[in-house]
Amino acid sequence: MITFIIRRLLVSVLLLLLVSLITFAIFFLIPRLAGQTSYSLAAQYVGRNPIPSQIRAIEIKLGLNEPIWVQYGRFVKGIVFGYTYSSGPSRTYCPPPCLGYSWRSQQPVWPQLTSNIPVTLSLAAGAAVIWLVSGVAIGVVSALKRGTIFDRLSMGTALMGVSLPIFFTGQIALLLFSFKWQIFNVQYVGITQNPLLWAKALVLPWITLAFLYSALYARLTRSGMLETMNEDYIRTARAKGLPERTVIIKHGLRAALTPILTIFGLDLGLLVGGAVLTEYTFSLHGLGLFTIQAIGNSDLPEIMGVVLLAAFFIVIANLIVDVLYAVVDPRVRH
Amino acid sequence: MIRSKITGLAALGATAALTLAACGGSGGSSGSNSSSTSTSYGQGLTSIINPSNTPSSGTLTFDLSNTPDSTDYQNTYYAFMWNFVRLYSMQLLTYKSCPGACGEQLVPQLATGPGVPSNNDTVWTYHIKPNVKFENGHTVTSADVKYGVERTFAKSVLPNGPSYYQVLLKDNKYPGPYTDRAKNVMGLTSVTTPNATTIQFHLSQPFADFDYVVAIPQSTPVEPAWDTGKYGGANFQLHPESTGPYEFQSYTLNKQITLVKNPNWNASTDTEAKQLVNKIVVNLNVNANTVDNNLMSNYADIDMAGTGVQTAARSKILTQPSLKGLADDPISGFLRFAYINTKVIPNVHCREAIEYAANKTSIQDAWGGPVVGGDIASTVIPPTVIGYQKFDLFNALSQPGGDIAAAKQQLKLCGKPSGFTTGLAYRTDRPQEVAAAQALQASLQQVGIKANLQGYLSGKYYTDFAGAPAYVHAHDLGISQGGWGPDWPDGYGFLDELSNGNTIVPAGNTNISEINDKSINSLFATAAGQNNTAARTAIWPQIDKKIMGMAAILPEVYQKVLLYRNPNVTNVYFDRPFGMYNYAVLGLK
Repeated sequence: MITFIIRRLLVSVLLLLLVSLITFAIFFLIPRLAGQTSYSLAAQYVGRNPIPSQIRAIEIKLGLNEPIWVQYGRFVKGIVFGYTYSSGPSRTYCPPPCLGYSWRSQQPVWPQLTSNIPVTLSLAAGAAVIWLVSGVAIGVVSALKRGTIFDRLSMGTALMGVSLPIFFTGQIALLLFSFKWQIFNVQYVGITQNPLLWAKALVLPWITLAFLYSALYARLTRSGMLETMNEDYIRTARAKGLPERTVIIKHGLRAALTPILTIFGLDLGLLVGGAVLTEYTFSLHGLGLFTIQAIGNSDLPEIMGVVLLAAFFIVIANLIVDVLYAVVDPRVRH
Repeated sequence: MIRSKITGLAALGATAALTLAACGGSGGSSGSNSSSTSTSYGQGLTSIINPSNTPSSGTLTFDLSNTPDSTDYQNTYYAFMWNFVRLYSMQLLTYKSCPGACGEQLVPQLATGPGVPSNNDTVWTYHIKPNVKFENGHTVTSADVKYGVERTFAKSVLPNGPSYYQVLLKDNKYPGPYTDRAKNVMGLTSVTTPNATTIQFHLSQPFADFDYVVAIPQSTPVEPAWDTGKYGGANFQLHPESTGPYEFQSYTLNKQITLVKNPNWNASTDTEAKQLVNKIVVNLNVNANTVDNNLMSNYADIDMAGTGVQTAARSKILTQPSLKGLADDPISGFLRFAYINTKVIPNVHCREAIEYAANKTSIQDAWGGPVVGGDIASTVIPPTVIGYQKFDLFNALSQPGGDIAAAKQQLKLCGKPSGFTTGLAYRTDRPQEVAAAQALQASLQQVGIKANLQGYLSGKYYTDFAGAPAYVHAHDLGISQGGWGPDWPDGYGFLDELSNGNTIVPAGNTNISEINDKSINSLFATAAGQNNTAARTAIWPQIDKKIMGMAAILPEVYQKVLLYRNPNVTNVYFDRPFGMYNYAVLGLK
């Protein structure tokens, strides 16, 4: 088992390196191949009507005039060993994993990213609990009560949940519960500062996000359960005289949950990397909102940082799923 | 000044928000709207709403849908930041705090009076008030103002602000105070400080508008000792040294700014700002639709961007009298227009054909209509800018649907009676600009001018595409959509970067029409040496008429914005120089 985990970890590191290389190439190399010069790139990071010396100064400060491989080498070196930046009168050390220096805010990227992680984690974890519990429960009941009004209603609602975009359901939730009835004012407060306010601020985003995912999970669970409950071994279990509850939970649900677990791992990994639309709609300062801002500002180091962090979370989530798989099914280890 | 942009994602929520607008009812149960006021629509344009000097123990809350370029007054070029920094800084001169045209007057703030020019207007002298204090209690001296100016030269560390001092002062090679600090702190020789209360600026050539330059936040004093260590250089933005009514308590980058009262600020030395609340909080990166709803639900007091409410809130405000009475729709001082490139379309008659054929009404509709899009423009200088003179060379006002007959006549004179083909550049991530470009394309088509739409992302529009003359020529971009707001509200501030021949640069060019006309350049030179304000003001409409005579700019609309004022806020009025409410004087009921 340990060998399996080590092997997976090494592959994960290689994968992250590859992601960094591809991301760097997309944002730094391709524009150059398309004819963009380091001077015109630098011109984006100065104010209106810059004089040429102003642009040159920024070109040199950001190292844009250096070869691409030197820039990439510096980036990777920063991740491993940290980097020292000049902030004018003094020099600032950015400890590893230093993911670069923002060209807009002129601050290291890593502390900005880490300050956003608690918000995204809070959002993703709370929503995940809601959607997993509600989605699976609704899916199971729907499968067992196939064709009934409950099944039709729940699957209809699930279809709505999958179809309606978050910026729509989120706006409705905000308009009704925050602005019209003023029950939830979404002003995020850290969990350590005030757990009650933290939860109150996140109720609407959790439910909005969970509405989408629980709908998806309900449909997946339902179809999985329907398929499983028709298997021969279920018939055998019933024939053995096992109680129906044991048949459903131990034999039916357990088998149906395996693909759900895989998808859950991936979904959670993606969300921790930034629930972009939810964070944008509810003005939550998480990694998703940070990503939008980085893209809007064309702040390449920030974009690089957030892509790598998101990739890291996805890789870790996959790793956990793989390990869980290995626990459930020993054949996977080989 | 750069007007704040609404990000593309704002549009994403617009559809949902529009659909929901009707669900919003009468504005909800918020205290703000239920406490109906007697103010009327547009009242904030000419008078102060809720005038008060009574301090409040409350917190004034600003919401902002994006982030500042910097909170460092020497490193910002955003219009709303030039307004906001007055809460924690003082400049040599500033704009008088009063509504209407009165607000365009420059008045002394840190200085005792306006600049005194000498030596053929190349030396400008200011005297500083003796008892102005920094937040740490130290007295402000002329050397601190000089150091603030020196910081603006450190472009590798503070790249965002304007470059007026580099362009105007004699020693423009000065590297800024951060390299070789022992030598360069106080090393800017073209700014001298004969004593602790006198400062002199030595210009390389006369510049009569220099008082406006020292009213820009870049002339804020800074102690060299503050600009080191934790808050030095690029980190100065985390806690800019205050001379204004408030000081920084905290700044969490991209999230929130908190200001508290500056105990060392003295109202008697700073009559243009007020200290009326205990705390000011700025929430950053708030969804643009949420900002509007927060304002109307009393969760926030001011929309800091000052660019007006979004579509959903707009329809709600304009259809509900109780809300409409709390709104203003000023001409912001910003012009929406199209550059007509004089190199790509060298024949003036071809350019005039474009001017005549453009359907100004459909273009106005594209920008949002007459109420919130803007008034149809016929001049380059907007009505709220000093030097505006109304004229209508191409019948934009008399025939807003386009003068097709005149356009065809011009095409004949141009030698292309059946029309011609050219490129039309615009920014794809600005929905209204896209619509305006399409409207212009459709109207030009009527006379046979085929304008091929070429869309670009706004981030690189000026650096790589429309603002790069080589690219413009190579891709036959005869027309480019644009917008402009002045750095200061007179003709120079508005026209120079658009039409002075010496402003044409290979990248980041804002004179996209490539106007390099001897008579225009000469008028700018004359104005720069003209100390008589009336005589100088008379030059701006002359330049305006020459630009229009060249048909190098197609004015579209004088932009209007719909601003909503929370009725709980005091001393609210539209401030012309900034194109939004005056943030320096606000209080709470």
